[in-house]
Amino acid sequence: MNKKFARLSTPYLYWLYILALFPALFMFVLMFLDIPEGLDVSNGLKFTLDNFKQLTEPSTLIAFGNSFLYAFIATILSIVFGYLVAFRLFRSKFKNKFLVLVILILPMWTNILLRTESLAGFLNSNGNVVLSLFGIESADFDLLGTPFAVIFGLFVTYVPFMVMPIFNSLEKIDKSIEEAALDLGLTHTQKFFKVILPMSSKGIVTGSIMVFLPCLSGFAIPEILGRGNIVLIGNVIEASFKNMSYTIGSLLAVIILVVILLSIFVVSKIDKEGETLL
Amino acid sequence: MKNQEIKYIDGVPVARLQDYGYRDFSILHKIWKVVSTILVYIVIFLVYLSVLIIAVKSFNADTAQSEFTKFTFDHYINMFKDASLSYAISNTFKISLVATIVSTVAGTLIAVGIHYLFGKKRQYIMMLNNIPLLNADIVTGISIMLIFSIVMRIPGLQYIFGFPTMLVAHVYFCLPYVILNVLPKLKEIDPNMMDAALDLGLKPHKALIKVIVPAIKSGIFAGLIFAFTMSFDDFVISYYTTGNGFNNLSIWIYSSIGRKSLKPQVYAFSTVITFGAMALLLIANFLSSRKEVKHGKKK
Repeated sequence: MNKKFARLSTPYLYWLYILALFPALFMFVLMFLDIPEGLDVSNGLKFTLDNFKQLTEPSTLIAFGNSFLYAFIATILSIVFGYLVAFRLFRSKFKNKFLVLVILILPMWTNILLRTESLAGFLNSNGNVVLSLFGIESADFDLLGTPFAVIFGLFVTYVPFMVMPIFNSLEKIDKSIEEAALDLGLTHTQKFFKVILPMSSKGIVTGSIMVFLPCLSGFAIPEILGRGNIVLIGNVIEASFKNMSYTIGSLLAVIILVVILLSIFVVSKIDKEGETLL
Repeated sequence: MKNQEIKYIDGVPVARLQDYGYRDFSILHKIWKVVSTILVYIVIFLVYLSVLIIAVKSFNADTAQSEFTKFTFDHYINMFKDASLSYAISNTFKISLVATIVSTVAGTLIAVGIHYLFGKKRQYIMMLNNIPLLNADIVTGISIMLIFSIVMRIPGLQYIFGFPTMLVAHVYFCLPYVILNVLPKLKEIDPNMMDAALDLGLKPHKALIKVIVPAIKSGIFAGLIFAFTMSFDDFVISYYTTGNGFNNLSIWIYSSIGRKSLKPQVYAFSTVITFGAMALLLIANFLSSRKEVKHGKKK
């Protein structure tokens, strides 16, 4: 009986093979090929290592460095403030805490590009609708194109993804463990650092991955808030595919993919069932 | 500490809590509570900042949106008057609704399947299931684009880019959200319930619909909301899987930002969607909590 139901998952396995694994292999092959434009193989297939020269170009290196740095800073900020929000929500007297979590992801119903574009308008005093609404005319600042703008954009966009998993892991902590900690003589602060924080670390790890990866690879936020001054790796990949150099684009995408597969490996080690992600 | 006066009650010295080493942190706790509450509100405000700016812009008469000239409802009234915007909006809804329905139904069935898997097999499929969820949007988008650029070479399928490709892509990244929301609910079901249903003579597929689905409907609903939210908000994957003049709202916005010709009606549309969804949620919550009070349920 159980076997019959278990078979329901088989088509999904093939679906994932076709849409997730096969293209990864395809990109892996593409990065060793010499194809000047798109997928045009009319000149025959030639293997080459020339694509790897792109990796030593300063522009690519800077993009990689920036991506990791900004994603790292945005993730740290998200851990600190996301934990704070999740913890206060967990301790609050709200009856329907799930509702608060949903309200936190509601901004996603507004298009991400539109939100980013609005932030861009706000971080610049020139043509700033909000300042003009409040009658502030004298302000003169332009934060667009600075690292602050990009990190700010990444943080406000992705911090809700940190709150969710941390909140879920906090909810799973048994109340009696906290009582035991207090009975055994820990102060509230000690209880937090010795009991609650380690027990919710699962949520922090999954949350960090949920924030770090999109920050690392996104290209819309740095493009709009970085005003071309700040190039992240997502922008380089996007530009390569736009210029029809699929081979170099694939190479960079494979590197991102390796980082992601490592993260998936970490998640599956920490959480064998893979079920704290949401 | 030395000069502390000893307290006497009825001539007998009485030790205070402090004498036992108790230190009073209640003031610090209060300060921390206030500070952290303020920080929490700041974070929530920042998350909503862009949405609020969009709301302000939606009431601004200035089409160029460079200063606030006059309060107006014009953008709301003319919301669907712009042909290119309406086309993009209707495409967005088409894609998101179809992708949500397909991935909710398929995702529920797959989750049931995974629920009856054990050991290595289950871990393996759960690991693969994480790929669409965690993979970078840009890598997912390019992957699916590459697949369809191969499929495209099959005669008769050269115009496949557009609605079908974008739909496959959206179903692909929505499925894991449904599966991950349904699985924990399946775990909570009493396994005997299914056996009882089968013993009482229900066919397995009937038992699935009549016994399992009602028991996990909250998970299915949560998955549905997640799937719709993700699909509705997606830009990068849609950007790579579109073609033949088919565009959705995010692609329309992207090209409008590039041309610096964003129509103000889009602000009105976004405001209606976001705050409409919030209002619906609050109303639904209010109604369900009233229902609970009526039935005397306490949680």
